[in-house]
Amino acid sequence: MKKSARALAALLVSGLALTACSSGGSGSGGSGSDAAAPAASALDQASGVTTVEFWHSMTGKNAEALTALVDAFNAAHRGKIEVKPVFQGSYDDLVAKYKASVQQKATPALVQVYDIGTRFMIDSGQTVPAQAFADRDGYPLDDLQPNIRNYYSVGGRLASMPFNSSVPLLYLNTDAFAEAGLDPAKPPATLAELGDLARKLTKKDGSGQTVRYGFGAAVYGWFVEELLAESGSLYCDADNGRTGKASKVAFDSAKGAEIVQWWADLVKGGYAANTGWQTTDAQAAFKAGTVAMHLESTGVLRGYTEAAKFTVGTAPFPRTAAGDQGGPVIGGASLWISGPGHSAAQQRAAWELEKFLTAPDQQAAWHTGTGYFPVNTKALDVAADQQWVAKYPQFKTAIDQMAATKPTPATAGCLLGVMPQARKGVETAVEQTVSGAKSAQQALADAAKELQPAIDAYNSAVG
Amino acid sequence: MPTAPPPAARPRRLGEHGLAWAFLLPSVVVLVLFVAYPLGRTLYLSAHANDLFGAPSRYVGWKHYADLLASAEFRDTLLTTALFVLFTVVPGVLGALALVLLLENRIRGVRLLRSAFALPFAFSVASASVVFSVFYNPASGVLNGLLSRLHLGPVGWLTDSRYALLSVAAATVWMNLGYNVLVLSAGIGSIPDEITEAARLDGASGLRLARSVTVPLLGPSLFFLVVVSTVNALQSFGQIHVLTRGGPDGATRTLVYSVYQKAFAYGSSDFGTASAQAVVLLVVVLACTALQFGVLERKVHYA
Repeated sequence: MKKSARALAALLVSGLALTACSSGGSGSGGSGSDAAAPAASALDQASGVTTVEFWHSMTGKNAEALTALVDAFNAAHRGKIEVKPVFQGSYDDLVAKYKASVQQKATPALVQVYDIGTRFMIDSGQTVPAQAFADRDGYPLDDLQPNIRNYYSVGGRLASMPFNSSVPLLYLNTDAFAEAGLDPAKPPATLAELGDLARKLTKKDGSGQTVRYGFGAAVYGWFVEELLAESGSLYCDADNGRTGKASKVAFDSAKGAEIVQWWADLVKGGYAANTGWQTTDAQAAFKAGTVAMHLESTGVLRGYTEAAKFTVGTAPFPRTAAGDQGGPVIGGASLWISGPGHSAAQQRAAWELEKFLTAPDQQAAWHTGTGYFPVNTKALDVAADQQWVAKYPQFKTAIDQMAATKPTPATAGCLLGVMPQARKGVETAVEQTVSGAKSAQQALADAAKELQPAIDAYNSAVG
Repeated sequence: MPTAPPPAARPRRLGEHGLAWAFLLPSVVVLVLFVAYPLGRTLYLSAHANDLFGAPSRYVGWKHYADLLASAEFRDTLLTTALFVLFTVVPGVLGALALVLLLENRIRGVRLLRSAFALPFAFSVASASVVFSVFYNPASGVLNGLLSRLHLGPVGWLTDSRYALLSVAAATVWMNLGYNVLVLSAGIGSIPDEITEAARLDGASGLRLARSVTVPLLGPSLFFLVVVSTVNALQSFGQIHVLTRGGPDGATRTLVYSVYQKAFAYGSSDFGTASAQAVVLLVVVLACTALQFGVLERKVHYA
């Protein structure tokens, strides 16, 4: 506290964020919550226009929606704040560039980082937690969707401001259900049921060619993470990295093997299409009707209903077994405010933008413009949002699913410095199991073993 | 002039040297900036561990190299790289040679065909790779569409670890074909007409002419192509990045792609390991080129 108070005084006097503050954020290895947020007066006292460089990874419709929101913000703060959004490529590319910017001491004032980069951003010591701003202003965070808030919180303190959140769903081709004499109103609730239905929904033509697979999803580690969370299992130790720093992964469990083996068996049996790592390929297969059941995030719902020549149905993400007590983990990205190297006014301006972007009206516009799940629960009460949900009633599934999910360490998801590599390791394990090179248990055990040096190196680098 | 005093010669020579250096300076600067410095930096990074942001943190000596030697994953990477070179250089050079020899026949529209075969040269790797990803697409791809017409099962061109490397290699062969055809066409064009005519007068034609006259005289072009194609194959990146990202299960993870993955992909910034791999790549390229010059070039007949 003393250190932060002193740092604060320095900030107020000089109006500059001293790089020395970073020692407070990174040294403790905690949530970085001891980094201080400057007072609101910093912005009021700033002369001229405070510019905020904002790095993001949004493309297409999402980028348009983001630009519209930022333009509205700039218009409302003309002469005072100017936010400059800069597209930096994919989430992975952005993190690589962000690391370079840290080395060059030229970080952007605000940066959008994917969910699995959360631990890294905390450990970077470059950011001021959203909680610090909220505490200083007495700004309530209660409107944030509890599970989304849970993901970006460590020790109950919000590290970054959630912005674009996705929720996984089970998508159904209801026409295929009807054709197979099945009721799409009774979607599969467990993996076993999903497997049974996949067998019934797989259709072959006269020559034995498969014209429709019962199931199909991209080889995307996120889905395995979701299923583990549904089962209430942890993905890494230390309560998914929530009560301390995770030191090893836990996905190489019997449950993990059960999930991966289930997936591989469906592919090997000819009941699931293997379209590889490209999510767009798996999406194309579902839209073309060659896959009857499919895992994807809410973000693609609108595209599906517009492109598909059949009625698109949605169901809650499946559980691994009937007694599962968990629920899905949210995905997407959050916004981080840079501390070191940025003036107090810049930090405050970035915080103003965060509050603006997550307010009900903006989140309603963002949700309806992109399909991301609103991070602010009040956004669902906005008239425009309710009209959208009425138009795409399939989205109701996601709302209900999120409301029914209790925030626990399992449903918070794993915080791990090398989480992107962990996800990649699981994807390789799925590929190995599908090809028959290894059993699921062996493939996951090997993935965990190969990942261990990276986890150790990361943790020792953080110190 | 012959009576000019000797001391005057010195400044003149210096002036000449100075002029030579002035002319050389731009290329020396470029070489130092873009070759020597990065190489030195790579060596330096390969001997250091990294902090969270990829900056060198402490000296570790040969550790990264020792880790690579002990790594099964790295041995797989080297094997994949060797296979990729084999699958791209051999069909790429032989295919272009066959096409160029066939084009020697005076058939109608040969100019059009020659342009057509040289056309892949005009495509960038990225755009050609995107086109191939459409061909190979598991669900809506052209190739599986054709196969299903023949009532043959869908093939996981890029999603099955048995076929992925071959599929990427096939795409690469096509991409390189244009350049290879151009080089060999130029080579054939430079063969003196009198030699070919003399051979024809002696009754040689078709395969016999190709085997005994054209191909041996194409030696320098073929040798050049083999060396350049090998280096190109060792450095291929774009098609792997667009088509497979090194997967599935590492089936298309070549040395260059592995360097990229360690340094930049999946939030990794292990520049130490990546740099060590880059040094290994440099050694492999040098060794291949030296070997080719040592073994192949002896057999090349320079007309």
